Amino acid sequence: MNDFSELESQLRKLRPVQPSADLMTRVERALTEARHGESLHRGKRSTSTAAVLPRERRFHFNWLSLGLGLAAAAALVLFARVQLERPVKKTQPVASITPAPQFSSPTSTAQFVPAGLTQVVYHTRDEGVHFPNNSQQPMRRVRSHTRDTLQWRNPTTGASLRISYPSEEVSLVPVTGQ
Amino acid sequence: MVGGVSIIKDREKVMENVATDENWKNCFSQLAPGLLLFARQWARSTADAEDIVQEAFVRFWRKQHDIANRGLLYATVRSIALDFLRRDSRRARRESTAVSEMDQTVQPLFEIEDESQRALVAALDLLPNEQREVLVMKIWNELTFAEIASALEISQNTAASRYRYALAALKKNLPAV
Repeated sequence: MNDFSELESQLRKLRPVQPSADLMTRVERALTEARHGESLHRGKRSTSTAAVLPRERRFHFNWLSLGLGLAAAAALVLFARVQLERPVKKTQPVASITPAPQFSSPTSTAQFVPAGLTQVVYHTRDEGVHFPNNSQQPMRRVRSHTRDTLQWRNPTTGASLRISYPSEEVSLVPVTGQ
Repeated sequence: MVGGVSIIKDREKVMENVATDENWKNCFSQLAPGLLLFARQWARSTADAEDIVQEAFVRFWRKQHDIANRGLLYATVRSIALDFLRRDSRRARRESTAVSEMDQTVQPLFEIEDESQRALVAALDLLPNEQREVLVMKIWNELTFAEIASALEISQNTAASRYRYALAALKKNLPAV
């Protein structure tokens, strides 16, 4: 090797040209993008080997199951709406709207005032004659299903708030002898 | 050779630091000229060589290999450069350019200061590819024969032989040395 030491010295004096100024920027950007990509896919990877990246797991979506599930859910919702909103032929639905007094405050803009109460009796069932509490007086027990809706309104902004909930009411009606 | 050893030790220290993720810039700024020269052997332009170096370094870094495994880094550069050359060759054929241009030896790029260096570069250009790439890796990238052998998938003896043949050929073509 001593024969070539001078030649090696001369070779080392040769300086390769410097890379362009933006090469570092390009590498940095590529590394950032690669790191971002890895963080997105890290959950999908199992293990990493030196030469071969593991194949990413593909998410197989079962469209048939999704379709059947959606159809079943839609049918259930429709059925529930029909059951809830269909008027019962046996009884007359009783609806009453109670206008609420306005308690508006001219100074407050965030105040809601009661705007109304709606009570819809959508089902009534006569459960027959009973003698409640060992009473001698026969009573007819009537069970009613209603939907009550309370409504508030902001007179300043015009916004409204409505709460609706189902309720059940059992009433005892004295049986009058004829 | 004491200076050379200290440079290698400094380079190894930089390599260790690079493993801490954010110091890759220090490593890359030191390695980039040599990597570029190495890639330039297969690329027709500096821009192409920079593309090769960028892709290789990013791919190498993403795999999270031991950064001290420099042989693998240069093997990555070489692999990407050869792929690039094949793509470039196909593109050249499609564009009906002269295929003979692809077979021309591409001169490494140096900052030439005087005529003796110009003659040296001209002599380098006459070397066979397999000898020149070993010389580039040894002289301007400071790889060991073990690392060169790993990068080129040859034995260390073959790497050392090619290096000696390259120096001998250079000496033969440079009567003044």
